[in-house]
Amino acid sequence: MRKELRRWAERLRERALAEGLSFPPVLFEEVGPEEMAMLAAYGGFPRRYPHWRFGSEYLRYRETYRYGLGRIYELVVNTQPVRAYLLKGNTLLAQKLVMAHVYAHADFFQNNLAFKPIPKDMHEEMAHHASFVERAMERHGARSVEEFLDLALSLENLIDPQALYIQRQVEPQEEKAPGRLQVRPYLDPYVNPPPQPPKEAEEGASPTPLPPRPTRDILGFLARHAPLAPWQKGILEIIREESLYYVPQAATKILNEGWATYWHTRILLPLLSPAEALEFAELQAGLLAPQGLNPYRLGYLLLKEVEDRWDKGRFGPEYEALPLGERLTYERPTGEGLKKLFQVRTIHTDLGFLDSFLTPEFALRQRLISPEDLPRFAEAKQALLFRLTNAGYPIVELVDANYGNRGELLLEHAYEGVGLDLKKTKAVLENLHRLWGRPVHLKTVVGDKETLLSAGS
Amino acid sequence: MRPIERDLLRFKEIVRGEVKKRAREFLTREELFGQVEGRLVSIPLPQLELPKIVYGEPLEEGLGLGGPGTESLGPGGHVPVAELELEEFLDLMGEALRLPRLRPKGEGEVTEEAFRYTTIARKGPRGLRHVRRTLKESLKRALITGEYRPEEPLLVPEREDLRYKAPKTKPRPHAQAVVLFALDVSGSMREEELRLVKTLSFWITLWIKRHFPRLERRYLLHDAEAWEVSEEEFFRAREGGGTRLSSALLLAEEILKSYPEAFYNRYLYHFSDGENWQGDTPVALEALRRLLPTLALYGYAQVQGPYGQGHFLEDLKEALGKEEGLAATEVRGKEDLPLALRRLLGG
Repeated sequence: MRKELRRWAERLRERALAEGLSFPPVLFEEVGPEEMAMLAAYGGFPRRYPHWRFGSEYLRYRETYRYGLGRIYELVVNTQPVRAYLLKGNTLLAQKLVMAHVYAHADFFQNNLAFKPIPKDMHEEMAHHASFVERAMERHGARSVEEFLDLALSLENLIDPQALYIQRQVEPQEEKAPGRLQVRPYLDPYVNPPPQPPKEAEEGASPTPLPPRPTRDILGFLARHAPLAPWQKGILEIIREESLYYVPQAATKILNEGWATYWHTRILLPLLSPAEALEFAELQAGLLAPQGLNPYRLGYLLLKEVEDRWDKGRFGPEYEALPLGERLTYERPTGEGLKKLFQVRTIHTDLGFLDSFLTPEFALRQRLISPEDLPRFAEAKQALLFRLTNAGYPIVELVDANYGNRGELLLEHAYEGVGLDLKKTKAVLENLHRLWGRPVHLKTVVGDKETLLSAGS
Repeated sequence: MRPIERDLLRFKEIVRGEVKKRAREFLTREELFGQVEGRLVSIPLPQLELPKIVYGEPLEEGLGLGGPGTESLGPGGHVPVAELELEEFLDLMGEALRLPRLRPKGEGEVTEEAFRYTTIARKGPRGLRHVRRTLKESLKRALITGEYRPEEPLLVPEREDLRYKAPKTKPRPHAQAVVLFALDVSGSMREEELRLVKTLSFWITLWIKRHFPRLERRYLLHDAEAWEVSEEEFFRAREGGGTRLSSALLLAEEILKSYPEAFYNRYLYHFSDGENWQGDTPVALEALRRLLPTLALYGYAQVQGPYGQGHFLEDLKEALGKEEGLAATEVRGKEDLPLALRRLLGG
């Protein structure tokens, strides 16, 4: 990295720490557009298992850059140390902005509760996964492994976002026979092979239902119970683990980007030379453009709002009791804004953040809603929150793995007024059927009618 | 190779496989027809999408957050679109449909000039001085004048020895072709048959162009008489009077005079329902006898409408079936297209 850049990195780091942010070491690296496209396609990691999907993404990022349709300024990876890639060739000011931004992301990764159970050595994990899949390809043929990956990836979102929290508490040695070696789950079948393949008849007769309670962790369930070869179970585990790794990032996109934007602004503004001010304004305007659901804009504005309200004492039962008009002018200065911001950063995901602070006052002031539409505010807010729930994916649970006492799978969609894409859903059910080997059913609602979609029967 | 390149290669391989698998479907995809001149062909590949359980209706935005550029959040994603170079796309189609390679007939006309420093001049800029040739001249002079002494082989070039690299325009032979489409508009060509004609002539054009980048196209229509039209007009549905296939052949013969055989690979395609006037068939066959030896191919496609059974295909096969360069076929519907296309290109 250039010397000047390194000096700035140090200076910005000190400022960020002095302002109260706390984060692990951050390693910056400047990379060219092609490498940036590669890293973006790989979700931030230079080593991933072989799959054409990455090639397709890479091509898309590369062409997007080549035709000037967009560039990735920065990429931060939640590991320890935090790794951040800066796009080579950006101006010094742009790099400074990005570095200040990155320190705030690093602080967010370290302090937001949603990230607590996430492993910090994901580089290593990803590399393990890559070599596991590569070995499977050597042994079982690249095409058949690829085919299985295609199958498994279509189930990528059938996970329990809470699984990482639960696992740590509930996973006492219940299932594990004595003398088992603790290894990565996908290696387990190799290291601790099951004594005998479970017999279908026995499973069918078992008195405890399977799963004991409905579960959203369908990938995990399949990895444990589907009649698959060990390498196939391993791949399911890998997809599940990698999916879980990205859950907190998807769940905190608005808050995290808002946080980083808040801090790069706060850290950098006092350091700008007059010549830089204009360029900064331009970059900032691009970042905060009111286009679609821009997480930078919404997150930043809402955090500023929170800071302002808590500085002015616009909270608490007394304030809440006021009519809308009086709330706008109420003032009882406390100066607690910044403290409140740190609390928000620690405890919230987007869902809680917006639920708690997206008020009619804010929506009016930021012109997210017109005064005539104000009566519709609650409804509109609900629609937005729904979009953010479960990263916008439908919630699907596995209810019964021995449906009709025939060893069939029964899944249930928690219907909330929005129907499924039937074509894609059926394709997924077909995939599930191929994995499970027995018919698979999904209970959902199609056009107001409760419906059982099935594959394989 | 970097891993990402490996993934990219695999992706491209899958795309190519997909194109070949779906070649028959692409054959009739009219939105492709606009792309003859373009360099890239966009191919939507819903098959390449990894399906997921997602909502069917797009989720409501809420709170006036809509507007262009909504993305980055939530699932959904895009249908993967692969872009292929037109050449590559054509080659894949050719492979899948087993289209024959076209071979240039003669030398082709001299058309392009390549600009290269391939010759030597006595004058030129210092930077282009050719040292070896200069010394060679110097040596020659020294030998002739007897100044050269092997025990002390010192060469001092003089002004007249200096040689320079110089550009030379080098004519490059370029195979070229002309394709002439004739369409019988008498009677029974309806929308549907016209669509078949359009599809065939589109792919014929592309395939010939693939082999002869310098391709000229001419279009003519005929009923009892023939007249030349523009490309757009060629594909406009219309009805006319009686039929004389010979009228088209004679006009084609006339037009092709400006494309001498020696310089052009000449292709003539004729679409008709095959219902010719009784007396005209011998005239048409006679014209063809003259024309055939001068053509790379004469392609006759008999497009069967719902009524009528044309005879010309049979007559043609009977009279000239053994001649080289005759490519005659029948097209009854979409499913005949792949085979018809192959036949019409001489396969």
